[in-house]
Amino acid sequence: MDNAIGGAEEPFLAEFLDDYFAECEEHLVTIRRGLLALESFVDKPRVDQSLLEELFRAFHSLKGMSGMVGVRSAEQLAHQVESYMRLLRTGKTALSAAALDTLVEATKLLEQIIAARRHNKPEPAIAEGMARLTALADAGPPAPAVPALTDFGPPVPAVSAPPVTPLPAPTPASAPIALTPEERSQLSAALARGEQAWWVEFTPAPALAQRGVNVNEIRSRLQRLGELIRATPNITLQGGISFIFLFTSAAPEATFAAWANDGVRYSAYHEAEPVGTAAHGMPMPAIEPAVVSSEKPASEPTVASPTAAEPAAAPPTAVKPARSAETIAQPAIVVRVDLARLDSLMQMVGELVISRARLEDALRRMAATTTLTPQWHALQEINLAMERQIRDLREGVMRLRLVPIGEAFERMQFAVRDVARENGKSVTLTLSGQTTEIDKYVVERMLDPLLHLVRNAVSHGIEAPAERTAAGKPAQGRIALRAATAGDAVIIEVEDDGRGMDSARIGQQARAAGLISGDAELDMAGLLDVICAPGFSTRAEADLTSGRGIGMAVVRSTVLELGGSLSLWTEPGRGSRFTIELPLTLAIVDALIVSAGGQTFAMPQPSVREVIEVKPSEVTVLERNELVAHRGSVLPVVRLARLFGLPEEDAQSFNLLIVGSGLNAVGIAVGRVHGLREIVVRAIADPLVRVPGIAGATELGDGQVVLILDAAGLARLHRERIR
Amino acid sequence: MPDPVARSEPYILFELAGTSYGIPSRVVQQMEMVEHITPVPNAPPFVEGVVFLRGQVIPAINLRERFGFPKAPYNLRTRLIVVRAAGRTVGFIVDSAREFVPISTETIQPPPEGIAGLSGHYLAGIATLGQRLVLILDVEAVIGQGEAIPTPI
Repeated sequence: MDNAIGGAEEPFLAEFLDDYFAECEEHLVTIRRGLLALESFVDKPRVDQSLLEELFRAFHSLKGMSGMVGVRSAEQLAHQVESYMRLLRTGKTALSAAALDTLVEATKLLEQIIAARRHNKPEPAIAEGMARLTALADAGPPAPAVPALTDFGPPVPAVSAPPVTPLPAPTPASAPIALTPEERSQLSAALARGEQAWWVEFTPAPALAQRGVNVNEIRSRLQRLGELIRATPNITLQGGISFIFLFTSAAPEATFAAWANDGVRYSAYHEAEPVGTAAHGMPMPAIEPAVVSSEKPASEPTVASPTAAEPAAAPPTAVKPARSAETIAQPAIVVRVDLARLDSLMQMVGELVISRARLEDALRRMAATTTLTPQWHALQEINLAMERQIRDLREGVMRLRLVPIGEAFERMQFAVRDVARENGKSVTLTLSGQTTEIDKYVVERMLDPLLHLVRNAVSHGIEAPAERTAAGKPAQGRIALRAATAGDAVIIEVEDDGRGMDSARIGQQARAAGLISGDAELDMAGLLDVICAPGFSTRAEADLTSGRGIGMAVVRSTVLELGGSLSLWTEPGRGSRFTIELPLTLAIVDALIVSAGGQTFAMPQPSVREVIEVKPSEVTVLERNELVAHRGSVLPVVRLARLFGLPEEDAQSFNLLIVGSGLNAVGIAVGRVHGLREIVVRAIADPLVRVPGIAGATELGDGQVVLILDAAGLARLHRERIR
Repeated sequence: MPDPVARSEPYILFELAGTSYGIPSRVVQQMEMVEHITPVPNAPPFVEGVVFLRGQVIPAINLRERFGFPKAPYNLRTRLIVVRAAGRTVGFIVDSAREFVPISTETIQPPPEGIAGLSGHYLAGIATLGQRLVLILDVEAVIGQGEAIPTPI
């Protein structure tokens, strides 16, 4: 991969790349859905136009965006797909099953390339995929759908002197790129519609980004106004980064002239040297600020047109192409947000929580030392209002993290179709409960396990059509993927009406592999244990499907890790059902990160009513009890370090986490409170380390285990100790 | 065991206080350098703490402590051997581990009656490898007895 834009302006690029990945993901969703729908048109003379249009647009956008960030392989692939789609669109070729497969393969390859980019891994080779796509496009009519190479004359600039001097390409990074035949045909078609072609350069800057003006924003502005033919990143002479767009539009120049303050410069496009294409660089860097070049190009088309006997002569504003209208008509009601930004938002809310706790603390101190004034009451009132507001804010932000599970389900459609084809099965997948909301993090973690279950259902569960018919079942197998909310849990089911599991045979294999002993027949739980044992496979040889899966062991451990459970129902001849129960929010909880006795612990915030700072002198010792006065009552002090046998520190003051209520309230004494963090709760399952007072474990990003405190357990442990 | 007639089975050999021990490699999931282990309060003394392993929280048992040898500081050769047995995943901290050898089942003798010390409880047998004696661990016994030990309160 060329490193055209690496390094230069990392922050911009990184931010842009995040957007790129997010947007690619969206287009891939559209593409997957579209390809599935396309299947019903295999071998039909004509494919639904709107469907093709949608797919075409998605691939086109993917291509454009990939080009912009320099992911050339994705750009090339998408381009090739686009070429084939064009043939389909014009009805010059019919869609064969093999062609659809090739498209599916290409889409997978695109996914892999983008994923590889995202995780900084080596990209897969695209040569084979490209070759198959090229063969597809070539298999169409011999006359290419893009006969434009010749009929695109240089109608405009040949006459009028270019307003902008074309300069040589600024750096090797944006090396001379001649227009491809497709781009040329797109361009000439647009010109024929009476549109004007423009070079537009956008130079991102932090100040612009703050106003929400980034390359994506500019790009969508352009797309609303006309057709984007090319988008390329560019290293400016100063070593910065800019993005250069070639686009056609019927919009009057004044529209984008007004963007000068948004880091946009532009100039009219014209073919500098119509013949010497080799030297045809991008005539960009010398573009003047938008305002300067405003008068000349506007008159250009009219000046130019008399020479060329072309319809392009029509004044740009006269012809209002339908396209700009239709693209504008889609208002954006969904905002894409990177999960990391939500996390930092959550963290800020956490800091707010702590600040308010300090405010309350100060107010209390004030109340203890001075007589209460009206001002104090006014402050206290504000403080209490803030508490409520912050709680609402926190909940609102938490809710932002919830996403409908539907999108994840739709990916399964794709997988089912794929695996069914590979295995010669006929399967329908029915989805229900797609609107069920679940934490984004949980959905992302569950994708692979769900994929595995669904693939397994197709390859192991559903029988071959002949076998099904013989058993008196419909030839087409059914897999149901359901989601529903039940109280604080989300339940996901993967059910098939296939052959079910042969518990006797599986038991036999498990015994042979030394996984179980004894002759007892396996019950459902035992069966699940066996199939989830690492390395266990019911197939004699790993087939293609199971070979690339993640394995049932990982399915189960992921579910457990997210604080959920997995169960199984199966009946020979009738099918199998996996039920996954995931906590709606429990797996992720806000926790105060505290230290005691030199060790770090996490205390779930919901169990903490209050955090107060206490000086050793404020502690009253009563026999084996330590007490502090708090809000008119006495609070037993539970010293975490002492309870846990850790070295106790001598400090000026310590913090009390007040947990429980009424007579059960205790203050858990810790050294410092480091802050509020969102943590993923993981269970501690092994009996050797299941100890009272510890609810689970988490990690804070460094791979080290941090134990999660169990407030009630600590209070109990404390009572036992002092008794 | 995949093949019941196999006459030899691969073992992982490790060192502990100058003695060689072996565990069947089929129960060994992986071996790790010992990095940060989070102590778990009030856990049995031979449990050094917990570590993350593929998202799972597993206990790390200090085998020196378990067998009644004096504890030794960790060094570059210290290893965490992750074993899976009886449906549980547990890590063993050992002085060093590097050998992977097939041991023929015939050379494994039952542990002699007179063997003294704690480690006697945890032996499945003794194998002779050339001049060397290798104590074969009974993994389930090593990880199992901990459950019976009451949490000191």
